[in-house]
Amino acid sequence: MQNTMKRLALAAVTSLSAAFALPALAQDINIAALYNVSSGGLTSLDVPSLQGAQLKAKMINDAGGLLGGRKIVVTAIDTKNDTGETATAAKRAVSMQGLVAGIGQSDTTFALAAAPLFQTAKIPFVTSGATSPDLPGMVGDEMFLVPFGDDVQAHAMAEYAYNTLGIKTVAVWTDNAMDYTTGLSKYFKERFTALGGKVLIEDVYTTTDQDFSAQVARLQSTEGVGALFASSGPDTAGIIIKQVREAGLKLPIFAGDGFDTDLIVTVPGKELSDNVYFTTHAYVGLDTGPANEFRTAYKKEYGKDPENAFAALGYDTMGLVADAITRAGSTDPVAVTKALAETQKYDAVTGTIAYPAGKRVPSKPVAIMHVEKGTVKLDTTVTPKG
Amino acid sequence: MNGAYLLSQVANGLILGSMYALIAIGFSMIYGIVRLINFAHGDIFTIGAFATLASIAVIQAPFPVVLAIVLVVGAAVGLLIERAAFRPMRGAPQVTGFIASLAVSIIIENLAVLTVSAQPRTFAVPAYLNRLIPLGGLNVRMIDIAIVLLAIILMIALVLFVRFTKIGVAMRATAENYDVARLMGININRMIGIAFAIGSALAAVAGLMWGTKYGQISPLMGVLPGLKAFVAAVIGGVGSITGAVLGGYVLGMAEVLFVGLLPPEYSGYRNAFVFGALILVLLVMPNGILGRSTEQRA
Repeated sequence: MQNTMKRLALAAVTSLSAAFALPALAQDINIAALYNVSSGGLTSLDVPSLQGAQLKAKMINDAGGLLGGRKIVVTAIDTKNDTGETATAAKRAVSMQGLVAGIGQSDTTFALAAAPLFQTAKIPFVTSGATSPDLPGMVGDEMFLVPFGDDVQAHAMAEYAYNTLGIKTVAVWTDNAMDYTTGLSKYFKERFTALGGKVLIEDVYTTTDQDFSAQVARLQSTEGVGALFASSGPDTAGIIIKQVREAGLKLPIFAGDGFDTDLIVTVPGKELSDNVYFTTHAYVGLDTGPANEFRTAYKKEYGKDPENAFAALGYDTMGLVADAITRAGSTDPVAVTKALAETQKYDAVTGTIAYPAGKRVPSKPVAIMHVEKGTVKLDTTVTPKG
Repeated sequence: MNGAYLLSQVANGLILGSMYALIAIGFSMIYGIVRLINFAHGDIFTIGAFATLASIAVIQAPFPVVLAIVLVVGAAVGLLIERAAFRPMRGAPQVTGFIASLAVSIIIENLAVLTVSAQPRTFAVPAYLNRLIPLGGLNVRMIDIAIVLLAIILMIALVLFVRFTKIGVAMRATAENYDVARLMGININRMIGIAFAIGSALAAVAGLMWGTKYGQISPLMGVLPGLKAFVAAVIGGVGSITGAVLGGYVLGMAEVLFVGLLPPEYSGYRNAFVFGALILVLLVMPNGILGRSTEQRA
């Protein structure tokens, strides 16, 4: 009987639309997962992340749980692609009884909406996919990143473009409505010009724009542009490729991990989704034990291969939090924060996570993906120095 | 800046304007006949895009058939909304209808999010629509030409219908004065239903065009184009069909040229520009370009 009750409670709590927090069973380890699951282009990153996190929690529970048999209970809260909704979700999460940590979000703007509430409540918030390296500085000591920072991925892209592909001139397009995209452009331009490259033209737009015809015409009329760096989230990623290619422009398109979504192939179609390079979180090319274990488990659980690197990031985030709980030997948020900050070597699927003293952004390898006629392939993996 | 660049921007404005014009017509027609700003109009545009997706993906209909299906679905949804939400409150103060239209809009959007999920979707477009047409150095696709031509054909047909057919005359009479029209034996409810059906069918076709051109549709895609078409209708003069068409083209052109001719750093403000233009028009020409001053009907 008790077992059935417990399973029922588990099912209720893990359901996506859990509208209220159930009183937790005393021995459970409560973790809140805040993701955009029902609205907007970010769902194509957030849903895989959430599935990855839930998979890891399930695997840990199946293997006997943590701290001598205590189970992880993941409460997923939908943040509905809305920063106000995200702040409300965070408020609800931190008021849950015995919450150990919060995880979630694939975008800096949304992480910034949630994390400060965790900071105030002195509960750690570990983001699985928000990549601004400034996040811990802006939020405080409860903020941890599982992915690399945007500086790392933008620098890797700039170096790859200039050194490997021999591109000397670029146009830079920026979605100026997102913290992620404005930061990414800044770091890309900084490294690309430092290498000797030139930014010939810059253009901006906002996340909700769907008509890029004016920008495309301007790009077309600018002489000598070698490539386009499109700093964009998943909402506009596919649309940009489609409209640039339909205008007959064949130049390479570069982007960050906001392009790691199937929309870049489905929206323009296989024929037009060509000559695109984007950076993302390494795991595709990694043939390590954890990476293979993840791939097999994901396929078994969800009946398909991981959609993108964000599935692996969600999985890693849950793993990292569980590792910190084990090292802390307690579910006290303060002890868990301390253990997280002291992470020296956690073997994640997307590369080893280590937080250097006082920093809460890991230095991890960057995968450079190449899209050819609708097929996304790993081109190379770049490991940042230092 | 050279001629070819300017020409391609003008073409872009024309294409965008065609879609705005089609949506704006519905706003204007419905306002003209029931004095109602129907904020659910942008959602009918969304329904049109999803009807396109469904008829291509599920029954693999050829494109002309898809067009017919979308027209019918749009008209049916328009009629349904009118019957369910607006007819019961006929005669209520204007603000009631306005609030009801907001409610309908929110219901449609949330139903869409619940049923089809908010993940952006794509649909396969027949290859011939994506063929490149050389047009004096312009890079134009078949779909672009189809959008402009189809919009113009539909608009001419509508103007002829309203001007010369018996139903058209009856609709205009209804817009002029309910009581006198009723005395002439005109079925007011039927005329209002027709206005909703035609306006909604055109918005649904605009949704088809938008989805085919930009390749990505989602339940909330209609919000911004819907609001912009409302701006277009106001610019042209709410209540006037030719005004709505004119407003649509003026707005589409102005929006593209705003992005295309000003320095790139202003491109991000295109929506601010559109709604700024709305305020300006309301201040300078409260009745729009072709609108008549609308005295309150007794």
